[in-house]
Amino acid sequence: MTDLTLQGVRKEFDGVVAVKNIDLHIPDGAFVTVVGPSGCGKSTTLRLIAGLEQATDGMIQMGTQDVTGVEPKDRDVAMVFQNYALYPHMTARRNITFGMKAAGDFSDEEIERQVAEAAAVLDIDDLLDRKPGELSGGERQRVALGRALVRDPEVFLMDEPLSNLDAKLRIKMRAELAKLHSEFGTTTIYVTHDQTEALTLGDRVVVMNDGRIQQVDSPQRLYDFPKTRFVAEFIGDPAMNMLPVDIARNGTDYEAVGPTFRITLPEGDGLEAAAGGQAILGIRPESLSVADSADRSSFTAEVTVTEPLGDSLLLECRTGDQEFKLHAEPRTAVKPGDQVALTVDAERLHLFDSQTGNAIYHAAAAQSLEETDTVDSTI
Amino acid sequence: MLGSLLTALTAAVERSQAAGRTTSERLRQLETEQLTLHVLAATVVFLIVLPVLIAALVSTKRAGIVTSIADLAPGGHALSNYRRALIGLEFWRYMLNSFVMSIAVVVGKLIVSLLAALVIVYYRFPYKNAVFLFILFTLLLPVPVRFVPLYRLTTELGMGNTFFAITVPYLASATTVFILRQHFLSIPASLVETAKVDGVGPLRFLWSVLVPMSRAVLVGVSVIMFVYTWNQYLWPLVIINAESLQVAQVGLSLLRGQASTGEVAWSMVMTGSILTLLPPLALLVLFRRQLLETFTIQQK
Repeated sequence: MTDLTLQGVRKEFDGVVAVKNIDLHIPDGAFVTVVGPSGCGKSTTLRLIAGLEQATDGMIQMGTQDVTGVEPKDRDVAMVFQNYALYPHMTARRNITFGMKAAGDFSDEEIERQVAEAAAVLDIDDLLDRKPGELSGGERQRVALGRALVRDPEVFLMDEPLSNLDAKLRIKMRAELAKLHSEFGTTTIYVTHDQTEALTLGDRVVVMNDGRIQQVDSPQRLYDFPKTRFVAEFIGDPAMNMLPVDIARNGTDYEAVGPTFRITLPEGDGLEAAAGGQAILGIRPESLSVADSADRSSFTAEVTVTEPLGDSLLLECRTGDQEFKLHAEPRTAVKPGDQVALTVDAERLHLFDSQTGNAIYHAAAAQSLEETDTVDSTI
Repeated sequence: MLGSLLTALTAAVERSQAAGRTTSERLRQLETEQLTLHVLAATVVFLIVLPVLIAALVSTKRAGIVTSIADLAPGGHALSNYRRALIGLEFWRYMLNSFVMSIAVVVGKLIVSLLAALVIVYYRFPYKNAVFLFILFTLLLPVPVRFVPLYRLTTELGMGNTFFAITVPYLASATTVFILRQHFLSIPASLVETAKVDGVGPLRFLWSVLVPMSRAVLVGVSVIMFVYTWNQYLWPLVIINAESLQVAQVGLSLLRGQASTGEVAWSMVMTGSILTLLPPLALLVLFRRQLLETFTIQQK
């Protein structure tokens, strides 16, 4: 186990910049998930850490050792791939031991013992003499995990290891991965494009876009205090609604003024500077609700689509020329074309700069943006 | 002609596959189509094999001059002809030379090509594609074109008239490198990356992963290489003077020269031809499955 530091890491492929100046510190024993859309540089970052790619610029440190130019085999990392990367002609046992034997650091008894241990943990004892072709996707991934486990590396690197599994198995394996990590406590970096995986598995989540880190935070803080519009829209499903508004001052209060609504914003940092200008108001679908009757704080919208999800009713609404989604109570009697009165949870509002997309205000008053910043730089 | 026939064949098969789904009329149509195809294919095969058949017939006769259809009846001298060619005229020696040469070339080529393909597919180095293109360019220079410089080089190295002269020049093969490269490219990159992370060295990876995963292709290219080497005529003829070192293809012409009366002993030549044909034929029959697999890879 060790901690890991990336300093100003940059990677270019034939003039295309895949990773732009990444600074990241991953503490010893952490489970860090890296999430972002395709092509955001998350896999490249992982491959840079593994040593499968050489950084164009910057430094990668494991513990106190600079490993920037070090060969993958000398970094003491183990990697699990999306397609499992099992050798098809070898049995599961041979797949697991092949790397260990090559490294030559282990005696035969040690290998035997490690394999037995890993097999017991992963529940693959009975599968060890089968070849990958005779295993199901989930079993193959377990064998691939076993191969990584027996190496007892400083850092685990996982590149979308669950993407090839079906939804049910994915959830099961997700729980098992979390269990494995709490058992072994090895520093783990886990790349995924699936935000649910990222939020449920990671102690810390790194959100990347366009080769840059957008935010590093705990899952809940990432959800509650997105630093940029990108993070706000990427984390959460359905995505946060983004409505262009004017920020107006009304006595001592500040209001977000849209074409058809005025929403009072609880006092907080950033409002004073934003007043008089334009901004993007971010509201999560669950922070909007259908009101029984219209009052001063509500506004009306027209329902365009209803999607019953069972535990809630997803409504797509329109007010003026702005469209947004909200989670209503299940069995709410509305149908497309209805006019509904909506209220917002004033504690769950966000404002983003309309040009840069950076967050300028979060209504949840207890914590301020600065706190998010400090967490970001220490992780 | 063969190419266009093949295209027609595959087109017809596809058509019949597409058509043969429902009605019995379509089934009948399919049967007629398939029958026509089979007749066509059989005719082509017959035309191709005809010279070989004639050679086989002539090898059973005493004189071996064919002037009429009646001369094509099998003769009664098969056994004595083959014995005379193999033992009396020492054709076994040429065949053995060819065999040793072919095996040496196959093994050497495999080693060189495997290493070359390994480097080209799994390593990053500057101008990699240019290097690969350069290897492919050597296909533009077949062995006969290189005869003069090759002859000088071989003799100056003191390898003239030796076993090395008929093996070493064949060891580098662009075709084999190309086929192996195509095959390696079809193996997921994550396999080699796992190996790199786990500290498995390149040679161990080659031996323990790539070779077992490429078994069929390796057998396929080995057969191709064997037949190619077995059929070499011009270069051994040029570089080998000693009869005891000569190969089967050149040995055939020596069989003809054994005719003492000044007439060409055609039955002897045909006997030798059939003998020369047997090893490649046996290999093709034995390994036809792997060969087909290899050719499909080449088409990718």
